[in-house]
Amino acid sequence: MNPILVLGGGPAGLSAASELAALGAPTLLVERESYLGGNPVRWHYSLLAPDLRPAEEVIGALLERVEGDARIERRLSTTLTKAELGSHGYRVTLATADASETRDVAAVVLATGFDHFDSRRKFEYGYGRFPDVVDFKELEGMLHDNKLVRPSDGQRPHRIAWVLCVGSRDLQVGNPWCCRLGCVVSIKQAVEVRQKHPEVDAYIYYMDIRTYGLWEDLYWKSMQEYGIKFIRGRIGAVTLAEGGSRLLATGEDTILSRPTEVPFDMIVLASGMEASAGTKQVAELFGVPVGPEGFLTPRLTDLNPVDSGLPGVFLAGAATGPKAIPDAVTEGMGAALRAYQYARD
Amino acid sequence: MSIVAHLPRRVLSLTEEEAANPPAMELTGRRKATGPEHELAETIFAEFRQDPRHHEFVLGCLNCGECTTGCPAARFYDFSPREMLQIAATGDATTLWDAMQEKIWACCQCYTCNMRCRFGNDIAGIISVMRELSVVHGLESTRKTLAPFGRSLTLLMTVGTQVSSDMIQPDFFRDWGPFATGSDKVWDVSSDVMRKAIPSDVLQTTRSSWEVSVQTSLELFRIYEETGVLDMLRGLDPDLTEMLIDIIEERREEFQDARGRFAKEIAAMRGPVASFTG
Ligand code: SF4
Ligand code: SF4
Ligand code: SF4
Repeated sequence: MNPILVLGGGPAGLSAASELAALGAPTLLVERESYLGGNPVRWHYSLLAPDLRPAEEVIGALLERVEGDARIERRLSTTLTKAELGSHGYRVTLATADASETRDVAAVVLATGFDHFDSRRKFEYGYGRFPDVVDFKELEGMLHDNKLVRPSDGQRPHRIAWVLCVGSRDLQVGNPWCCRLGCVVSIKQAVEVRQKHPEVDAYIYYMDIRTYGLWEDLYWKSMQEYGIKFIRGRIGAVTLAEGGSRLLATGEDTILSRPTEVPFDMIVLASGMEASAGTKQVAELFGVPVGPEGFLTPRLTDLNPVDSGLPGVFLAGAATGPKAIPDAVTEGMGAALRAYQYARD
Repeated sequence: MSIVAHLPRRVLSLTEEEAANPPAMELTGRRKATGPEHELAETIFAEFRQDPRHHEFVLGCLNCGECTTGCPAARFYDFSPREMLQIAATGDATTLWDAMQEKIWACCQCYTCNMRCRFGNDIAGIISVMRELSVVHGLESTRKTLAPFGRSLTLLMTVGTQVSSDMIQPDFFRDWGPFATGSDKVWDVSSDVMRKAIPSDVLQTTRSSWEVSVQTSLELFRIYEETGVLDMLRGLDPDLTEMLIDIIEERREEFQDARGRFAKEIAAMRGPVASFTG
């Protein structure tokens, strides 16, 4: 059997690759970055919601399974530049910085994932202009390294605000969808901050809290056990206060129906999820339909979310929409199974 | 296809039938308009909800409050664009009626709320529709609210106001802060856009724009007459309306006279030239 190509080495791709190997299929795992693990590794995610297990532990287990398996051929810093449908799968061209080669593969799993929204596009929050306005993926790195300090002066912040739905649910930037994770990750971050530094005040500005399913527990605990304060309404603008030493968040408390101004030492933006550049690229190469949001569209979103509807092309993870790691891992397994069935028949 | 095209439209607006049977929404414990006031409130509610602009302007609301954040009026009054949007979508006629007594006049029509709205609502627009209805129906409260503005209105309607390209200077917009007025590139870009937004054929500068041409103001007034603005104003303040008409009539006559004189002068100038060449 020709190998089955898994495109993308994030949680979904790792899961698909290890599952394919377990089924006994030769597997070719291609990743455009120089490392495996995807966004969690790229941004040094700290603890993962909702169990607050270190990301390294979770992703590490996936990595171990893939790296320790001789049936999985791993190709890093490699991109796909061409794909042609043959009688038994695809003929694909793989390129590195200095070479390219052609390979025949029996089936393809697209696990090309998402990119975080570039928060500079919401210019009113001052990201990229004020150093103490950080993106929540950057805070992940700080928490991971146990270095919670203000980027401007290296001091410990006294009061932090989280702003949910940055670049999500927002027609101003053309992204009306929900990121699904901003709420739970922000609450998790606030809990993590309060666990490590109980003296830091944590405020979360929200429109709706979407800690769906069993994750709701973390939301309740965050209030009951960690004293995190929730303000219903958004920060609409960030400026400087106190001679430039602090940030001033202007917003509306929509429960009290009054505009508010609160000084903060740090403001964390829960940036949304967009289809990654790689996802857009493979959509074009294989001709996978793309929805208005820019994500790949499975043929049947309800009955079979991992089939693209094209022969031998299967989908997994955040390439088809915002997704949490457990869901990406599950889809990786589903796509692996379907790709294996296709290659075998 | 653009993503906006996928969004449902007209979700909060009513069809003619629906408006004829307004939702039986009861804000418990709230005042309810009664008697003739109730009738007028219901009429205004039905007209408001069937206005085609309601379909266009009120799309839905996440109650995010970002519109209120940037609203200058919200900082000084018990007023917020978010609340106005909610009122525009309410099924309770008395709530709309109450907001139309005073609140709608707090807005200064700066359109900041529209720039902020993540749902794409035209909040400033729907507020102006409410204002229009309050004027059209000659509400007593509107009469009182607008009474002190008779002088400004007279000037505005008989003379007008002009914007010239060279008004778009950082110095005139200090309240926008150093970000907008400093050396920051953003200012250059946005001021450039604004300058381009002013039709170039106006070709006015701050020096000349104070002198308003009689012809332009007459044309403007013609627009007020033809589009029903004048009739609208008549319902609210008949005396002021008559006065405006008097002023403009006088100006029209002057203009015609001047035209006649001008034509004669030209003819007089042409005369000798014609005989000379002939
Ligand atoms: S998950 Fe939460 S933060 Fe993310 S878009 Fe949805 S509501 Fe906003
Ligand atoms: S247009 Fe009116 S409601 Fe909107 S921001 Fe300006 S003053 Fe406020
Ligand atoms: S900005 Fe738009 S969506 Fe947000 S509260 Fe105002 S009207 Fe509603």
